[in-house]
Amino acid sequence: MSFAPAAHHVHESAELCALRVDVRAFIRDEIASGGFVPAVDCWLNSWDAAFSRRLAARGWLGMTIPVEYGGHGRTFLERFVVTEELLAAGAPLAAHWISDRQIGPSLMKFGSEEQRRKLLPGIAAGEVFFAIGMSEPDSGSDLASVRTKAVKVDGGWQLTGSKIWTSGAHLSHYFIVLARSAPLDPEHRHAGLSQYIVALDAPGIEIRPIVSMNGHHHFNQVFFDGVFVPDAMLFGREGDGWKQVTSELSYERSGPERFLSTWPVLAEMAAATARGDLAPDPELGRMFARLMALHQMSLSVADALTNGRATDQEAAIVKVLGTATEGDIAELAGSTIGGGDASDGLARLRAMTATALLSRPGFTLRGGTNEILRGVIARGLGLR
Amino acid sequence: MDAPYRIDAQLEQTLEQVFSTAAGLQPGSTDLHFDRKLWATLADLGFTRLTSQATGATWIEAAGLLRAAARHAAAVPVAENDLLAGWLVERAGLPDEPALIRTACIADASGSATGVPWATEVDRIVVLWEAPDGWRVADVPRDDATISPGRDLAGRPTDDVRVDLARAASAAIPAACVREYDLRGALARAVQSTGAMDRMLALSSQYATERVQFGRALAKFQAIQHLVADIACETALATAAVDAAVFQMASGHGDLDWLELAVAIARSVVGHAASVTVRNAHQVHGAIGTTLEHRLHELTKPVLAWRTEFGSLREWDARLTDRIARAGSDPWSFGVRATRA
Ligand SMILES: Cc1cc2nc3c(=O)[nH]c(=O)nc-3n(C[C@H](O)[C@H](O)[C@H](O)COP(=O)(O)OP(=O)(O)OC[C@H]3O[C@@H](n4cnc5c(N)ncnc54)[C@H](O)[C@@H]3O)c2cc1C
Repeated sequence: MSFAPAAHHVHESAELCALRVDVRAFIRDEIASGGFVPAVDCWLNSWDAAFSRRLAARGWLGMTIPVEYGGHGRTFLERFVVTEELLAAGAPLAAHWISDRQIGPSLMKFGSEEQRRKLLPGIAAGEVFFAIGMSEPDSGSDLASVRTKAVKVDGGWQLTGSKIWTSGAHLSHYFIVLARSAPLDPEHRHAGLSQYIVALDAPGIEIRPIVSMNGHHHFNQVFFDGVFVPDAMLFGREGDGWKQVTSELSYERSGPERFLSTWPVLAEMAAATARGDLAPDPELGRMFARLMALHQMSLSVADALTNGRATDQEAAIVKVLGTATEGDIAELAGSTIGGGDASDGLARLRAMTATALLSRPGFTLRGGTNEILRGVIARGLGLR
Repeated sequence: MDAPYRIDAQLEQTLEQVFSTAAGLQPGSTDLHFDRKLWATLADLGFTRLTSQATGATWIEAAGLLRAAARHAAAVPVAENDLLAGWLVERAGLPDEPALIRTACIADASGSATGVPWATEVDRIVVLWEAPDGWRVADVPRDDATISPGRDLAGRPTDDVRVDLARAASAAIPAACVREYDLRGALARAVQSTGAMDRMLALSSQYATERVQFGRALAKFQAIQHLVADIACETALATAAVDAAVFQMASGHGDLDWLELAVAIARSVVGHAASVTVRNAHQVHGAIGTTLEHRLHELTKPVLAWRTEFGSLREWDARLTDRIARAGSDPWSFGVRATRA
């Protein structure tokens, strides 16, 4: 009856609760033993391959990949619980984030048997890391306009062009590239695109760093100068690139990383309030409430995905609200703390807030901007 | 995995049909009048005391009912009669006569209560007050109370009530019940608000596709699309928060701290969602939406009025800040429990 895209309430089972308890114990041990220091925007900025392998040893990478491919045959909800706990703790997840979140599931959906055998065991073991090669200098929101060209040659494809904003390309083993494999037909812009799995150490690849305004290096521009990609590394079907890219959006948009990037800031503000270093501010409660509601919505999308239901609308809503809220938390902290001095107990919060404020502009851009997503929601409502 | 929370589809459809007959405002008046015809239909169907012990219905069904009522701006005291007054009567073991229509309130030691919804229109007022030896409850005939009529900004009767506590036949009631009463009231208002927001979204989408300016439907303008999309976002988030609290309430495990947390989250999210949904719905509708003649205000005004009942938005936000600060350095495990009730 309801008109709004309806999330349904999901109550976690005893098994999921037990899983949370396990992950929390692991996190406590890690922090106590100096395994990691909680960080803001940890899934993009905190690269730690050794930590990824410790997660793999617990069976917490490649969770939804079937056992026969080296994974653990668990549900999206179980993966949701594990990643949510790790994100809330600010754990270093960047190394395996892309391969675990989307490459594993995509390979199960579109990959060839050979690709699955070759890549999935490494993904689940925390040995094989991926980046995403979608954006180009002239193609951002209008992704279908990509111009990186794939030309059929004997035994494979030859790629020419460049990809930009490729987070972690300098540290990853592969990236998945969207390229034009047939000339543009202005009537059917989404046709003629294909995806390729490209080794980042292949001859003809050049990776140039792009430094972000906070001084970090995760962005790159990747140039292809006639890079050869064997037929076996065409991903999915030739010409199906657009369909494949968009079919993954529910996974990409609704996850807990879309609202927890600044959770460590909120947790630190709560701790500072408890210590009496900050005056109690109702705005803190407001942010907490929004994140708890987003947790419920995101959980319900994970449940829908577990049950094979499409949830593009709800996923877009989680991302629009979540990314705005995590930015608002950075703002709240930024407008609460003053210059202060070393004795005010806010040094930790001050450092986190600086990172959060400088990461914030990216929150509502990456993975489809909030303007584009509002368009998606409006379409779902029948407005366009 | 537990079965996801869902109200029975058949019941939802019945509710929608019943409430679509709601009368709405009388032309030319800002006052809401009790829709007695609708009430009679609801009573016949057993919907006026949906959650009484006799029916076995829970807050999940009650939430469906409140949402449908709010969606159609129905002027009936279903929340007050069933979820507040009826519940108190049952809890206190007072004689329940289901045909009587009731509201409820908390009075001060002198027997005064302000802003009591529907007091002028009901048969009985269930009054809670704190006596020297503990909390008491009485089921007071309306005619035994002194009532000065008032209205809230939505035009709904919200009256000042005075009861002679010494004369009222009363029963003792545990303080925990009083706390729970407040949480039930707070949640009921949040549930109702999500119903109204859902309809605001429907009206805004519809108006945007019908109204033409500059030779095209408003919906073709991206600025309008984004206003409506934001109504959808806030409504969906508010509904998620409310559903989580309704689920807690329905599970009836009696941990009031836990329940309060869920209700506080719902009230905070709903309250802030009200700002966006009301503003955007009016912006999309232009001048016509600000008139008495247009239906929009029958949905937007109650949302603003309900937000002020059972604690203001600021108070709920502050309560959450207090709770997470008291929880120490780990608000995550405080908010996302890893234990089942
Ligand atoms: C932190 C971060 C990490 C990223 N990582 C990767 C990565 O690993 N791999 C990768 O391929 N890409 C990555 N990206 C790129 C990201 O996908 C793009 O930034 C995004 O798609 C937007 O493209 P753009 O930056 O070119 O902006 P543009 O598309 O040029 O948009 C600029 C502004 O115009 C608005 N706009 C554009 N079109 C419309 C429209 N039709 N209607 C209304 N407004 C519009 C946008 O919303 C935005 O506000 C990353 C970006 C960030 C910030």
